Amino acid sequence: MTGDRTPEIEPNDPTRSGAPLPAGRGARLSRNEIEALCLKAARGAGMSWGLAEEAGFAAGWLSQRGLDGPGALLAQLRTAEARPWRDICPVIEPGAFRALPEGLLCPIALGAALCDCARLPDADMRAAPIGIGPVSQPLLLVPFLAEVARLRGAALRLGWPQGAVTIGPDGGVGGDLAALAAAERLEASLAAAPDAPAAPAAPAPEAGPPFVPHAILADLDAYALRTTVPASDASRAGAGGGESD
Amino acid sequence: MDFASLDPVPEAARFRRPPSQVMRLARMGSAHPTRLSFLRVLLRRVTREGWLFDRPLWDIDANGVGRAVYRAKGPERTYSLVAFAHDLPDEMRSDRVIATSWDATFTLFDGEPGAADLDRLQRNVPLQEAGRISERELSLSRANRSVRLHAHVVERLAEGRQPDRAEVDAVGYLMRTTAVYGSGKFGAADRARIAGRPELGGPFQAEMLSVWLTRQFTVDIAEHLAQARGGASAVRLDPAIRRGLGVGNSTGLGMAPFLVRHPVLLNNWMMAREEALARVRAQRAAPPDAVAAFRKALADAQDNAEHWHSQHPIQVGKLDALRRDLAAVARWTDWPEAGQEHPWDALWRRGEAALSLEGQEALLALMLEPHGEIVDPLAACMTADEAAAFRIDGAMTVAELAAILAERYDWALGIDFARPENAARFWYVSEEKLEPRLGNRGGEDGAALELPLCTARLARELSDALAGWPGDRPLAAFLLAHPEHRFMARRAQVVARHPCAEVRDNLIAQDMLPIDLMRCKLAFFGASRFDPRSDKWVRISLFQDLPYPSDLCPGDWT
Repeated sequence: MTGDRTPEIEPNDPTRSGAPLPAGRGARLSRNEIEALCLKAARGAGMSWGLAEEAGFAAGWLSQRGLDGPGALLAQLRTAEARPWRDICPVIEPGAFRALPEGLLCPIALGAALCDCARLPDADMRAAPIGIGPVSQPLLLVPFLAEVARLRGAALRLGWPQGAVTIGPDGGVGGDLAALAAAERLEASLAAAPDAPAAPAAPAPEAGPPFVPHAILADLDAYALRTTVPASDASRAGAGGGESD
Repeated sequence: MDFASLDPVPEAARFRRPPSQVMRLARMGSAHPTRLSFLRVLLRRVTREGWLFDRPLWDIDANGVGRAVYRAKGPERTYSLVAFAHDLPDEMRSDRVIATSWDATFTLFDGEPGAADLDRLQRNVPLQEAGRISERELSLSRANRSVRLHAHVVERLAEGRQPDRAEVDAVGYLMRTTAVYGSGKFGAADRARIAGRPELGGPFQAEMLSVWLTRQFTVDIAEHLAQARGGASAVRLDPAIRRGLGVGNSTGLGMAPFLVRHPVLLNNWMMAREEALARVRAQRAAPPDAVAAFRKALADAQDNAEHWHSQHPIQVGKLDALRRDLAAVARWTDWPEAGQEHPWDALWRRGEAALSLEGQEALLALMLEPHGEIVDPLAACMTADEAAAFRIDGAMTVAELAAILAERYDWALGIDFARPENAARFWYVSEEKLEPRLGNRGGEDGAALELPLCTARLARELSDALAGWPGDRPLAAFLLAHPEHRFMARRAQVVARHPCAEVRDNLIAQDMLPIDLMRCKLAFFGASRFDPRSDKWVRISLFQDLPYPSDLCPGDWT
């Protein structure tokens, strides 16, 4: 095999065991690849391992539904880069998950906190809505709200002045998803919803796995590469089977 | 279904080994394949369901270059192994993940590929990691020849002679796979796409099918080359020699973290195997046919141990112990004694008292062998819904999580990680090859990028942090203040519900052996002839001494 048959490849891989991604025009990625790449990118951007796992979950969940999870996560990693945890993590008050003044919540941190509180009074929205935000890249909240709906066994409504999204306990999502995806910052309320949107139809098989454009892949890759250690002679020694027979 | 059929041996509970015994690295590193191993599960299914196997395409030239398709037709669906054979110069042959070319490359296609599929795969599969496959493919793999044995076999067959038995024994395979990727890697189908199919729902069934069909290819290509060279004088491989050839596999450190990264899966594998042992120990009789089957399996194991070679000092010692132990069991002709209430339990206890870890775990495998009826259904319990275990219960109190750590991680909480030998190493991913590696904290850079495989230390750190919080506070509040403990908090909750989910040893200790993790995983695959070449990589054999697809369907080949 000659080298000229090998396409140009990205330096980093989306799997946990080492796989370069095709460069050029982007690629269709399996959910496994999206989750692994986004987990590593989030970790590379400074998230804790446990939150980076949540980031991988959220990006994979959105991608499965034809929504741009990787793109939203990349935008979030850029927004939150170098900001201290206290600026992006929610403060829980009665009836609200708020940012500190001047703060802007990370949707992964907020979403994880809402899930953690799903069975606690903090996230009880039956009597009165909960205020949330401001939060960046609010599309990334939706997978967590689906988890809250599942854990509470009831639909909920994310509302803001110009629109609303309803999320059911079976993963159904309805409403202004396009507006949510376009929003870079959101203050909203969470309330119990009387009706759940229909559970999602199985994605059309001809649609195939989600396509991730090159610009997003390359930049997520660059973040992911920060989790890796440059090679040394010591690390190369004995890492794997070297001899033939 | 009634409750009795869900748990046909309820009295087995009191014969189960505790996780504190089972989940130690030294014992896991002595694991043997059993009838619950994944390749045995595959072979039982295709035999029981009468799958049909053939080779609809063999387009390979006299130099061994071209492509072939192997077809596996089950009751509901058909799968095809697409093989690309290459002419690889010796100097390019490497088992490392860094290699860029191989003697043969493969993919398991979901269905029967058309011409356009084959052309698409031809452009991608030979490139392996540098290519892309699609959701129509279930695995991606490659194999290199054992240069010595392959050349010997082709030369002999071309001359009309059979290969030398000693040469065959010394290697045991014509080709070895150097990576078998599944589950969404490189664009392949996600596991979710196949998890609901009975034939592929169990762990690694697509990969096992791929490797089994690959074994057929390794023999076919050798016979093909002998035919091309020797013409009319060439002969085919003696079936007895052929049966003794497995598919080799060369595995480096990349595999070691798998069991740590998939705690629910590890739990379900271990629990199924342990329940199997407990069910056998709970039997109130050892009928003569079961005893005879046990003794037959024992004789086979002794034979296997004679043919199992390694140069590695640790494995040499373990093999010596194994041969000694198996010989000892063979001398226990007074078992079963008349009137023993639980004869298999008596045998097990005698083994625990007399045998090395290697011998005890071999005895486990032997005791399962005559008991397919109560053991084999447990294979259905070895899959895992990992997504269902992901969500943290934030309503759990700090005191409850601390209690879980105290119970499930008692082995870890007393370790002093300030002592260099207890934190001597760190796991990381290399930038160069993107594979997991193990560094020395004292002498290498990169510890700041440590992977969270240091489970014992993470548990200790979480426990220490929890100690500073009021016990009645919810975990949700703790994690808001301490996002750095989120990973371990999730893990501890998983381990609370899954007793065998955690390896109960310090994975960054100076004396930790990564090959122990590999041995355990490979035994669940069904690998034999475990042969460590260092403490970080191993060679093994798959399907050795088991039938070929062409043995099940002899009529449809060439």
